[in-house]
Amino acid sequence: MEQIELKDLQGLIVRGYAELQSAAFMVLKVTDAPVFKKWLQQHINEVTPGNVKPTDTAMNIAFTFAGLRALGLNKDSLDSFPLEFEDGMTTRQKQALLGDFGNSDPANWQWGQKGNDDTHVLLALYAANMPMLESLCATVKQQLVGHCAAEVKMLDTSNLVKRKEHFGFHDGIAQPTIDGLSRKDSPENTVAAGEFILGYKNEYGQYDYSPVVPGAADKNNVLPASDQVSGMKDLGKNGTYLVFRQLEQDVHSFWNYMDKKTKNEDGSCNPEQMVKLASKMVGRWPSGAPLALSPDKDSETMADMDKFGYRQGDGDGLKCPFASHVRRTNPRDSIDTDKKTSIKIANKHRIVRRGRSYGSPVEESMDPMDIIKSDNKEGTRGLHFICFNTNLTLQFEFIQNFWVNNPKFGGLYDERDPVMGNHSHPLDSRQSGTFSVENHPIRKRHTDVPEFVTVKGGAYFFLPGIRALTFLASI
Amino acid sequence: MTLHGALSIILNIKQGMKPQLIKKLQEVDNDVNFNSIVPFKKISTIHFARFVVADSDPNPHGAPILDRLVFTTNYDLPEENHINELVKYAGPGLWDIFSMCDGFLTGSYDSKRLADFLHTNSKKSATFYVGVGNRSVTQITQEHKLRNAVQDYLDEHCSELTTKDAATIRKSIVNHVNGMQEFAWARTPEPPASSAYKMTRGLKIAGVLLLLVILSPIIIPFVLIWWLIMLLIEISEKDVPCKLDKAHVRALVEREKAIVQTQFSAVGNVKPGWFRYRTMMFLLTLTDFLAPYLYTKGKLSGIPTVHFARWLIVNEGRQMIFLSNFDGNSEGYLRDFIHIAAKQLTLMFTHTIGYPKTRLMLLGGAKDAKGFMEWAREKQVITNVWYSAYPDVSVKNVFHNSQIRDGFYGDMTEEQARKWLQLL
Repeated sequence: MEQIELKDLQGLIVRGYAELQSAAFMVLKVTDAPVFKKWLQQHINEVTPGNVKPTDTAMNIAFTFAGLRALGLNKDSLDSFPLEFEDGMTTRQKQALLGDFGNSDPANWQWGQKGNDDTHVLLALYAANMPMLESLCATVKQQLVGHCAAEVKMLDTSNLVKRKEHFGFHDGIAQPTIDGLSRKDSPENTVAAGEFILGYKNEYGQYDYSPVVPGAADKNNVLPASDQVSGMKDLGKNGTYLVFRQLEQDVHSFWNYMDKKTKNEDGSCNPEQMVKLASKMVGRWPSGAPLALSPDKDSETMADMDKFGYRQGDGDGLKCPFASHVRRTNPRDSIDTDKKTSIKIANKHRIVRRGRSYGSPVEESMDPMDIIKSDNKEGTRGLHFICFNTNLTLQFEFIQNFWVNNPKFGGLYDERDPVMGNHSHPLDSRQSGTFSVENHPIRKRHTDVPEFVTVKGGAYFFLPGIRALTFLASI
Repeated sequence: MTLHGALSIILNIKQGMKPQLIKKLQEVDNDVNFNSIVPFKKISTIHFARFVVADSDPNPHGAPILDRLVFTTNYDLPEENHINELVKYAGPGLWDIFSMCDGFLTGSYDSKRLADFLHTNSKKSATFYVGVGNRSVTQITQEHKLRNAVQDYLDEHCSELTTKDAATIRKSIVNHVNGMQEFAWARTPEPPASSAYKMTRGLKIAGVLLLLVILSPIIIPFVLIWWLIMLLIEISEKDVPCKLDKAHVRALVEREKAIVQTQFSAVGNVKPGWFRYRTMMFLLTLTDFLAPYLYTKGKLSGIPTVHFARWLIVNEGRQMIFLSNFDGNSEGYLRDFIHIAAKQLTLMFTHTIGYPKTRLMLLGGAKDAKGFMEWAREKQVITNVWYSAYPDVSVKNVFHNSQIRDGFYGDMTEEQARKWLQLL
């Protein structure tokens, strides 16, 4: 097996910096490329590599296609990037594919919106505490903004207790283990490094397309030679594509809907049933315990449980509904073929997630029982969704299109992901969401599911390896 | 029970007429259901239809292939019915379109001559795959409506029904539907296949198998030798890399805008040589013969999303045209080829130039995922007009809907009723 070059990776691929509780994402437009590149050259040592586990601060940096062009990367090299990275996530076809219409229409985004060429650079900044983060942000801002870059958007984050997201559910549990990177895992959950890092073999045993630059352009000879195109240097090696989506979560709409659908006969609220319906939609209980293993009640002991399937114990969806969020986003062994093939297929569509929540929580405790009772309607909140993959079409876009927003997923008829699907497709006859809970003797179908999640911004970024970053700083 | 036909009209486009033809086809596609040229929705026998303008190729096997128009329908037999409907609702429109091609009729519009032309000039598919079983357009759309009506009924009466036993719930569903005039057709089951049909079908396969067994002492060595010769040919063949450009792929995927189904059209040159041609024709013909026996459950070699597909060998065996209609998007579809049916599909596609290297027509091929995707995208062409009679019904839905309907008849035990209710 190939040795992964940890020190050439940007650290975010290797770890989510969980100990660095404060984070901010700075979206920048390059206004003066030579000065920006000079800054990059001078501060390249501050970019956190994969072989270091930072305890105080961390910084990683990524570029959009427009950003690479703004830096002055030559046309041939730009052309060697894949179509989906070049075209971005806001074309008409991508809108249909990703479910970005209606309230999530990229025309209305707060940043990265359609036709806007301003999103160039993503600076991901992390620190152990708020004062340290503030100081880090201030320093970077002072060095860049006004000199060589303009701030497009400053995206703050919030740290919710118990690794919860704003609806009150434990998030980020199912992560693939990158083969050869660190810990050992079951073969079912160990995925080839090439699925997440360019320059290594993927699940097909092949090297995915990697952007290249002409040998002569690499004046300081920092890049490795390309093994795909002779005479070219590999710009992609140890890099990856980073998907950023700002997903706004309407917590009140979410729990109001659960309330409306589970009221007692006397019209009073039934919090237990509310949590149950919400858990049916998610496919895990608030603690994170999978419904496939614990169908009737939450179980703290299974909070981090990720070793399970659907085929044996829940082939009919009576425990974890077919349409639920986790059953769609990672179908595991339940794809319509044999078990082994299903797991193999599912693992060709995995992503590594590194998102962070933003906005203050409705209730600090993040306990659904408190959130339900809360009347705190202040502010907006959501998730800065971040994931990595080497093939946007086959991984992030595939999950979003073929699983999350596919009304026919797994033999269904007209149900999208109840939590994050877009329920108002312009070409769909049924203009609102439906969600069926399989049950005996008959299913309970919930209609008029509103959109709990709205996309507010986003872009595809290239997160280069450290050598590639050095090269980009020198062009 | 309904069987299906595949109409394929392939004509060379008259010199200089291509832009005008493409413009006309765009008009059809802009309102594919009810446009005044070919209003597909009025033609009740069509499941899927398309127009494809296939570009000329200067030099496959030393002779040029001209620009062609490909018009195809997947329809309910009998053929005469279908052609009469086509002529009735789209006769003059088709006449106009075909008049931009060579080899079509001359003179003024004549419905009789058009019908004859369609009948005599349809190119027979080398392989024709049907993924929707023996169902007509009417049956598929009706059963889908039926399923939706049952769901609406359950929504409305959910709380009162939940307390009852399964057999009672089933009865109330059946009574409810039987009371609706709209579903009068559902009061009796879909007539099963006639015994004569079943007998012929059974005899055909039995005959072939018997013949194979009897001739096996000759066939087995023959096939082995044939296979070895093919291996030598494969080794001697040069790799032809595919040249993909972004604009081509962009133009293709931009046309995928439907949410449930989409289409795939591809045109590839066949590798040269008599031996190659004979092998390909044998494998395609064999698949055509076996498909109705092997792939009866809506799965093309395990791929659960294909409604209809056809392979056409045209221009004296120099080109293969592949057309299919399926659920999902083309990326997912092509990945299914690689993940689920690599070997079987390699057997059929390996005969085209640029297909990833194979050995014994089975090994390699689509297992080279990158090479396969490049080949598929390079050979894929724009489908100028595409029509689906039931764009919101997946293959799985088709089979599921029939299972629901089949549960309307006869008696059921509590356990059977329980199982049936899980379909809803």
